[in-house]
Amino acid sequence: MKKDLLAILGIILIIAVILNGTEIQSVDEYYLTHIDDITPESKTVFITIRCDTILNNLGDLDSNLLEFVPLDGVILPKTEYVLRNGDTVFDILDRAVRYNKIQMEYQGAKQNSFGSVYIQGINFLYEFSCGPLSGWMYRVDGEFPNYGCSKYELKDGQNIEWIYTCDLGQDVGAEWMNNMGGEEK
Amino acid sequence: MEILHIENLTFTYPKTKKPAVENIDLKINSGEFTVICGQSGCGKTTLLKLLKKELAPSGEKSGKIFYGGVLQEEIPDKTSASEIGYVLQNPDSQIVTDKVWHELAFGLENLGMPTEVIRRRVGEMASYFGIQDMFRKKTDELSGGQKQLLNLASVMVMQPKILILDEPTSRLDPIAAADFISTLQKLNRELGLTVIIAEHRLEEVFPIADKAVVMDGGRIIADGAPREIGGKLSEINKEHPMFFGLPSAVRIYNALGIEDNCPLTVREGRDFLEKHFSPEAETEMPTEYVHSETVAVEMKNIWFRYEKDLPDILRGTSLKVYGGEIYCILGGNGAGKTTALNVISGLDKAYRGKIIINGKQIKDYKGNSLYRKLLALLPQEPQTVFIKDSVREDLSDMLEILEIPKAEREKKIAEISQKLGITELLDKHPYDLSGGEQQKCAIAKILMSEPKILLLDEPTKGLDAFSKLNLKTLLCGLKQEGLTIIMVTHDVEFAGETADRCALFFDGEILSADIPERFFSENNFYTTASNRMARGLWKYAVTCGQVVEKCKKSKESKGEAR
Amino acid sequence: MKAFSDYHPLVLLVYFLSILIVAMFVNNPVIGIFALIGGILFCAMLSKRSETAGNLGFYIPLFFMVAITNPLFSHNGVTPLFFLNGNPVTAEAFAYGIAIAVTVTGVMMWCKCYSAVMTSDKFLYLFGKAIPKLSLVLSMALRFIPMFKRQMHKVSRAQKSMGLYSSKSFIDKIKSTMRVFMAMLSWSLENSIETSASMKARGYGLKGRTNFSLFRFYPRDGILLSVCAVLLGVTVAGIITGDTAFYYYPRISELTLTPFSVTVYTAFGILSFLPFMIEVKEALKWKYCISKI
Repeated sequence: MKKDLLAILGIILIIAVILNGTEIQSVDEYYLTHIDDITPESKTVFITIRCDTILNNLGDLDSNLLEFVPLDGVILPKTEYVLRNGDTVFDILDRAVRYNKIQMEYQGAKQNSFGSVYIQGINFLYEFSCGPLSGWMYRVDGEFPNYGCSKYELKDGQNIEWIYTCDLGQDVGAEWMNNMGGEEK
Repeated sequence: MEILHIENLTFTYPKTKKPAVENIDLKINSGEFTVICGQSGCGKTTLLKLLKKELAPSGEKSGKIFYGGVLQEEIPDKTSASEIGYVLQNPDSQIVTDKVWHELAFGLENLGMPTEVIRRRVGEMASYFGIQDMFRKKTDELSGGQKQLLNLASVMVMQPKILILDEPTSRLDPIAAADFISTLQKLNRELGLTVIIAEHRLEEVFPIADKAVVMDGGRIIADGAPREIGGKLSEINKEHPMFFGLPSAVRIYNALGIEDNCPLTVREGRDFLEKHFSPEAETEMPTEYVHSETVAVEMKNIWFRYEKDLPDILRGTSLKVYGGEIYCILGGNGAGKTTALNVISGLDKAYRGKIIINGKQIKDYKGNSLYRKLLALLPQEPQTVFIKDSVREDLSDMLEILEIPKAEREKKIAEISQKLGITELLDKHPYDLSGGEQQKCAIAKILMSEPKILLLDEPTKGLDAFSKLNLKTLLCGLKQEGLTIIMVTHDVEFAGETADRCALFFDGEILSADIPERFFSENNFYTTASNRMARGLWKYAVTCGQVVEKCKKSKESKGEAR
Repeated sequence: MKAFSDYHPLVLLVYFLSILIVAMFVNNPVIGIFALIGGILFCAMLSKRSETAGNLGFYIPLFFMVAITNPLFSHNGVTPLFFLNGNPVTAEAFAYGIAIAVTVTGVMMWCKCYSAVMTSDKFLYLFGKAIPKLSLVLSMALRFIPMFKRQMHKVSRAQKSMGLYSSKSFIDKIKSTMRVFMAMLSWSLENSIETSASMKARGYGLKGRTNFSLFRFYPRDGILLSVCAVLLGVTVAGIITGDTAFYYYPRISELTLTPFSVTVYTAFGILSFLPFMIEVKEALKWKYCISKI
């Protein structure tokens, strides 16, 4: 009985590993990202990563995370990157954090119900790290798109902002969250 | 002092015409040990239940029952619950709770006793009954005899003045039954407890009772001291079925019709025989046993245990049963007799040795071929054979399993029920039948597969004397038809009367298989009461009938000599 | 070895609950390790040596499996060791996996001890106080179930020897089992009639039924209970003030050893080693007594 339990656990573990794939990279390999040089004819986009809302809600922040909140709230200042064909918001984010060696954890598109990549944490600041309504949101040209970041294909010159919210988007001016909440009620 | 007085009690169950008990007048004095005897269905149980108002069946009742001068209906509930104790037949189903100590406390809890009082009384009772060592055990772990003793103790803890017992030993093996009866005797002698017990195994109870009440057809036909009753019974009716249940000494006395005090115990019986008869120098040797050439069942060096770590139950058991004989395996409790039977029947598999049934090894019988027209087992509790709501359904169910066409089923059922005399029982629920009736119906069911070898496990357990006699006739009839019968029993008297050969099972082995006359005469302790009484005179007299026959012969020869 | 299980059920329940809750919900490695070691020692005292060896064969692989599982799914932590499918596998996740494994095996050990120590009658006693009827019903059920099983075994054997389980086909087996089961229902009914007769005969249904139990609250139970309460109080105080707070993500926090936190760890350590110490004390006492004789 007990041995069976062990065997079942072991099998589940092996299946999980196989499903996840086994592409192993060393740390240096991983961060070795090729960034295209910006030439006059290349299309570019801008990306910023900010968490200044936390500064207003330091009381809610898990105390051990304080060291990961920059004093000005800017994790990645506005930077320009080359836009490749078919790049999504996620692709740009992924390239940017790798290049800058910023930690980022995400849930793959296959693992959630949205069918899109979900960003769980950037620079060790995770969803729920600063109160129960906190997490990462993104904004393109000042608008909050109502779908996943790996579905949003970018155009030349767009401006992406990744913003940490402590209040389900209200503190950063995301109106749609409000509306959706209203509709649901 | 009179403690119980029954006046002209008549009781009729609903929807029946004939009263279950009729015109009962009975007085019982405080401290008396009363045994109520009678065939199954004579109204014993109904009478006893009427005495305890909580258990009184519903129906039409007339007459009065006084308890200590107070009318039964007027006794307060608490008094009635505590002062009249009642022990039922089945040791298992009476137990309410899962722990021994809780079971002992159950009655006192109901009476609303405080914890301290319960603790003391329970402790006292456990010590008196010598059951301290099982005090914290689970009730399920106890043996049948221990369970019944626990039932008695958990009634006694309420300090009853009258103890009523309804066939308390019928489901116990003889040793546990004797223990139980001697505990009752101790309670009666030491505490002055009034005991009213219905029994059909009278060998132990009859001699110690102060009063015997004989019932038949719902009426009391005799009432008095056991010795008187024993002497009087033949006057009433010599052929009365009740007669077979009495102790051997009483039966021999009655059959001989010699003017003397009626003996009750083995000792008195032996004195009685030795007083009236003298030992003969020349005893007839029993005739050589003639058996058929064929071997029906053979066990060769069988080893068996239930689990790897448990001790062996069978250690090189060997036995040979010839075709058409009744072979009886006797032995103490837990010796492994039943296991031996289960191994023969293929329910349990031996890990070493060979079993040959009708010339073929048991493992060569594939699927169910062993149980078709060859071998059948009657388990210890015939109840377990039935799985339907009436005997008829059960029988036809069996035929269905045997794949007998529907048209023939009715005929077959009619045939077998005629043969076993169970025609009236066919439409009853198997659980409503008495022990003897259940057994007959169970045998009918297993005979449906037309076995050639019949295995019986404790067939006389819970049977009254009359049913035993019926069973004996039935088995002998089956033997005439060519069946081989192997039975396992504690009942030496029944084995002595029925078997062609007896064997003692001890320590995982079969010892000394022989014809009953030689088998029992070689045993000193493990033998019939009749043989114990008569062995000084006639060594080979085993059954009551044989003793009576020898006595009569001896009388004749003496008469001639004179 | 049963010195600890002889204490009053209430004390035992309080003890097990406090250990289990603290061990389950507190993340601190010191507390986790104390709970695990305490559980292992007590478990070893309760079971036979051969059993302990068998348990090791189960719990050690389980421990490692749980420990390895966490880093596969959790990628937080400042010290990436390597990247698996683009996600970091970090030293912190490994550490947290080990911490989870410590908690899981510790809780399992304590549950094992719980089931060995808190037998059904103790449980019944505790709940019988609150709901007397329920405790009787449970007790009757515990009596009935083994009896039912045994009877069912007997019936199915009897039927087997009459060729009921005729073919080896699965459907036939199910059908036969159903038949036996149906028969068992009427047997249960029959049996319960006699049980209820036996209950009525012994005065069940009279007013003012009391509840008897073998358990008594001795002074030593009171002492143990108050010791437990004090130790638990100190532990809980440590948890509430956050002096024992500990984080694995993103960076493993350092174990702060202030006088107060040391007191808290000591208190919990004593709490989790309590049954073991009681057993050892009793064993030594016996040894001493015997050598004197």
